[in-house]
Amino acid sequence: MTDTIVVTELSKWFGLKVAVSEVTIGFRPGVTGLLGPNGAGKTTLLRVIAGLQRPSQGEISLLGVDPRKDPSVYRRVSLVPEDEAIYERMTARKFVELAARLAKVDDVADRVQRALVMVDLVDPSDRILGGFSKGMRQRAKVAAALVTDPEVLLLDEPLNGADPVQRAQLIKLFMELGAAGRTVIVSSHVLVEVERMTDRVVAMVDGRLAAVGDVKTIRSAMTDKPRLVYIETPEARRLAAALIGADGVIGVHLDGEQVRVEASDAGELAMRLPEVAVEAGITLSRVEPVDESLESVFRYLVEGR
Amino acid sequence: MTVLVRHLYLRMMRRSRVIWLTALASVSGLVFWLVGFDSEAAELPELYTDIVASVGYSFAIAALILASATLREERDGGTLPYIYMRPMPRIVLAVSAMVAGAAAAITVAIGGWLATVVATLAVGADLSVALPGLALFLSAAIGYAAIFVPLGYLVPRSLLVGLGYIIVIETILANAVTGLAQFSIWRISMSIYAAIEDNFGEIATEVLGPVTAGVGGGVAKLAAALAVGLAALTWALKKRDAL
Repeated sequence: MTDTIVVTELSKWFGLKVAVSEVTIGFRPGVTGLLGPNGAGKTTLLRVIAGLQRPSQGEISLLGVDPRKDPSVYRRVSLVPEDEAIYERMTARKFVELAARLAKVDDVADRVQRALVMVDLVDPSDRILGGFSKGMRQRAKVAAALVTDPEVLLLDEPLNGADPVQRAQLIKLFMELGAAGRTVIVSSHVLVEVERMTDRVVAMVDGRLAAVGDVKTIRSAMTDKPRLVYIETPEARRLAAALIGADGVIGVHLDGEQVRVEASDAGELAMRLPEVAVEAGITLSRVEPVDESLESVFRYLVEGR
Repeated sequence: MTVLVRHLYLRMMRRSRVIWLTALASVSGLVFWLVGFDSEAAELPELYTDIVASVGYSFAIAALILASATLREERDGGTLPYIYMRPMPRIVLAVSAMVAGAAAAITVAIGGWLATVVATLAVGADLSVALPGLALFLSAAIGYAAIFVPLGYLVPRSLLVGLGYIIVIETILANAVTGLAQFSIWRISMSIYAAIEDNFGEIATEVLGPVTAGVGGGVAKLAAALAVGLAALTWALKKRDAL
């Protein structure tokens, strides 16, 4: 699949502060999670991709062009900015309509209505945005971004302030857009949300790329971090003894009825564990890998810096 | 372009702002009304030009506040991406901002000029006394928009810098340095006014200074200011960070 966004050797600095440092990456259709703690450079990267800020060094290709040189690409690209900033005195419908008219879309009224329906904002659409909750504002911003039917959608913390129901709706919407072949980049520091949307992530720490790929691949590449697996059994002590010295097992810790195993290779442990249990005549109640999640992977990445 | 001009114009023209900026632009009318009552009818045309030339300068501040806000408010408010990320050449964005800024300044200029019309009628002067003043205010509105719209986009504290320009360059330096007077928007506007108003007073003549009266020359200078302002704004929109 061809990359729709290509970032090459990109750096962006503000005076002495380096916000993004030598990032090279490609984004393709589908949902990609852009992860990083606050100040990691996610927002700056999105702004540079969107053409709002010029790169201090490096290049951007957005749907084949540099947006700062060819603004016609904005017909196919939308951004939902992180800032709460919005036109306070404008109604949601007028706000979405403004976006449609400035992008010169056909059949404005119909497109506006469809965009409002997509974010479930039809009923309050004639109220002014100043009276909206944070979550409703976010949805209005998403509607304004969707009204142009963009091929590339850049979302900077789009779920901020949304309640759980709204979050679920927006996540479903982004996944549908990704599945429909749109390039959707969702920046977030809430890992659970990203995990629900996609397994393709780009992790940034201190302005640099920390990892790119799907969570499992990234985790597998972390060979210096042993896999943690919790095993629950009534005979924890016997299991722990049986596992000591087994192939791929680095450490075994007892914690009540639980055995915490540190393994160099999760696959090998998965193969070996049933054999050990059968040989020792031990019944296993539960086996749970605890650091395979995006959160764990991300914690390792941040700690590693 | 119309959609963008309308959007930028309406965003600037908040009711409270329009009211107090129109009041600021009406200062010359108010002064004319107060002084005109004690003056002979024959003195009124000259008196009017003197007052407009000196006190009417308060309009420059109103124009600064409006024109510099055209894109600065979008930028400071974080809403600039909503208009910046649109499929239009940057020059169209620049022209739209310039037109909106000038239109806002013109609206307030007309409001201020109407106040002088009322004052003119109140002191019993002929309406022809106030009519040429409209050319002064309209020229100034366009000229100041040419400077202050790009300034507002480029400089975070544009109001302060703009005030510095008005006070230091237009008021002090342009009086002291002959060459600078040719670049003063107020004097350029005054030169157009002087060409269509016969009864130019002593103060007005002094304010005009070395700038020659003439509609053609004044309009050409304003056009040059617009071209430079537009080029600067287009360059900034293309080359500078938009946030």
